[in-house]
Amino acid sequence: MDLEFTEEQQMIKDMARSILDEHSSVDAVRELEDDPRGFSDALWKQLGESGLLGLTLPAEYGGGGQSLLEAALVYEEMGRTLASVPHFVSAVIGGGILAEAGSDAQKAEWLPKIASGESIFTIAWLEPERGYGPVGVQLEARSDGDAFVLSGTKQHVYFGGAADQLLVLARTDAGVDVFLVDAKADGVSMRQILSQAGDAQYRVTFESVKVGAGDRVGAAGTGWDSLSKVMHDGIVLLASQAIGGAQQALDITGEYMKVRTQFDKPLAAFQSLAHYMADASTNIEGGRMIVLEAAWTRAQGRSIERLAPMAKLFCCDTYTEVTRTCEQLWGGVGFTLEYDVQLYFRRAKQLELSWWDTPYLEELVAADVLD
Amino acid sequence: MDFDFSPEEQAFADEVEQWLVDNHDPVVMDPTRENFTQLADTPERRAFMKKLAAQGWLGMSWPKEYGGQEIEGVYEYILNEALAKHAAPQIGKGVGIIGKTLIRHGSDYLKKEFLPKILNADIEFAVGYSEPQAGSDAANMQLKAEKKGDGWVLNGQKIWTTSAHFADWYWVGARTDPDAPKHSGISLFLVPMNDPGLEIVSLPTIGKDTTNQVFFNDVYVPDTQMVGEQGKGFQYISEALDLERFTMFTLSPSTERARVLIEWAKEAKRDGKPIKDDPNVRRLIARIVTDQAVAKGLSVRFVCAARKGGKPPTIESSQYKLFATQLSQRVCQDALDIQGAAGQIREGQDEGPIRGRFEGAYRATVVETIGGGSSEVQKNIIARRYLGFPKNF
Repeated sequence: MDLEFTEEQQMIKDMARSILDEHSSVDAVRELEDDPRGFSDALWKQLGESGLLGLTLPAEYGGGGQSLLEAALVYEEMGRTLASVPHFVSAVIGGGILAEAGSDAQKAEWLPKIASGESIFTIAWLEPERGYGPVGVQLEARSDGDAFVLSGTKQHVYFGGAADQLLVLARTDAGVDVFLVDAKADGVSMRQILSQAGDAQYRVTFESVKVGAGDRVGAAGTGWDSLSKVMHDGIVLLASQAIGGAQQALDITGEYMKVRTQFDKPLAAFQSLAHYMADASTNIEGGRMIVLEAAWTRAQGRSIERLAPMAKLFCCDTYTEVTRTCEQLWGGVGFTLEYDVQLYFRRAKQLELSWWDTPYLEELVAADVLD
Repeated sequence: MDFDFSPEEQAFADEVEQWLVDNHDPVVMDPTRENFTQLADTPERRAFMKKLAAQGWLGMSWPKEYGGQEIEGVYEYILNEALAKHAAPQIGKGVGIIGKTLIRHGSDYLKKEFLPKILNADIEFAVGYSEPQAGSDAANMQLKAEKKGDGWVLNGQKIWTTSAHFADWYWVGARTDPDAPKHSGISLFLVPMNDPGLEIVSLPTIGKDTTNQVFFNDVYVPDTQMVGEQGKGFQYISEALDLERFTMFTLSPSTERARVLIEWAKEAKRDGKPIKDDPNVRRLIARIVTDQAVAKGLSVRFVCAARKGGKPPTIESSQYKLFATQLSQRVCQDALDIQGAAGQIREGQDEGPIRGRFEGAYRATVVETIGGGSSEVQKNIIARRYLGFPKNF
């Protein structure tokens, strides 16, 4: 047992930190809130050039070939800096599904572009009034000779306005399939929906959108399995992102508590307040450990069927709980837009509700344990 | 990064596991004692400790010149977690705080007298730090030690001495200099438990074990039974906690309890329907196994910090203890909620679910967030050392 990073891992973490510190300052994050595009080209370019964008994609397709552990270190930094960037939807989910299930031709065409940042992918998954499971995928993909015709509505399509390619989850006779759809294709329309976190998410409507049989990713009826597999990796990264955000919220709150005085002493000297922070720090450290264990376990080629949902469940819970506590500790100023703690508070809840929410994750764990 | 034991460590863990299976003794290894089988006053337990000694598993981390193997502390961690998992008595305070303190500070006489007996499991200790006015404020102990000839006369009272009614020797802190600042007026003594001046009064608890008050009535202790230097007792007590990096509060008992709960929940029915299909039960179980995994992670963290040597892993062990003990209680609480009305049936009766295991465990685990540094003490430590906050009490 040891928890030391290799020199290379430390280098990757440091590189992510310095790029994000430069391009994702709190001012930059505020600037991007509600922006239709939702990210800055400068940061996107840096992520592509540094290799952080394609970090976990296969080396033969221009990726870095690194494991989930290296990626988790990068995601903790993204969480710390509240980085607004389509890394997750494009490289982790989009690139992940292509690498997992795509044909050689699809991989050769798209993965190098995803890794460099030239192409931006996103996923059109959730539907209005439907849930996170496979049954929630009801957008129709009607078979029409060699082609498919897609009709229906998706929402929570992150960075939809900037994406070139959409991976659309749709229902076919075979079950759930994933289709590759050009974002500019005839019949695709979208509009931005504002969210609690001020990110760039879209409601996308498909009106008889025609796609070829060659645009299906993977064999017929395997779409859900591909997504589920990639999601198990992805949620470990989001758990790491949550820990990064929670740690930063804790750190800025701790510093504030040392200088803010009431009744002639700093808030940090009030035991009741200090104990909230001690609990928060303990949960953050525990969350970081389960992230590292999940990422390391995956890097060893072992199953993270149970560890991955546990990691996102615990870490997102911690992020929301810690930021609620921090709001309380900042007092009135924390309620204003001017102070930064609210940025973490809003994103924490959004992250918890996104990409498999608490009840869904609990059921994944329960099913693995009880059934 | 590596979450696995090394091949050597794993081989040892496997060896201990197999040995515990082969040497299973239902009297000694009673899971319903909830992590306190080391407090059983039975000949069977004493015999079991002798067997552990014969395996060479007592004092593994001690220096070779005192009969140890100078082996890494992580092996004692592995051993204790395995013992705790099987509800066997753990290696405990003799080879831990007492042995290690004697090795560092004891006179040749005390070393010769006690160390071999500790390694052979020939001797049982009770530890006396707490007093009615010295709980979390441990340095506030008032047990009076007055100089008389070549020794000391002890008068006063200790409390929460769990092993007092069967131990052979009492490892006890007393105030030798009432005028010195509170941390530096304390000395450590070894007192034979059968001294006629000691009066032991049992205090039954809501858990499985009784604890004791111990009254000192003119107990004479010769100078030779003072440990180390006069006035350094509190320093030794604190140092011993740092030396005991690997054998603190064990996680296995609560992991085992969660396992027992899950096995039960998989089979149990209510109104003819499987309990495990109740969404609320599924939710609670998911939370329990998740938090168990987090507690495991925090234990890996303190073990790794301890292995690095240097600074004691104070923050890591405080965060682990805080989280793991609260979780241990929550498992019992959730178990009773899942069991509903039948959960109240007193332990030991067939009518209760799992013979009332969680009814008993709910009571027994109360002490976990109190003893060994209460949750609030841990939070104060974390606030000062991790967050860099000022002293707040």
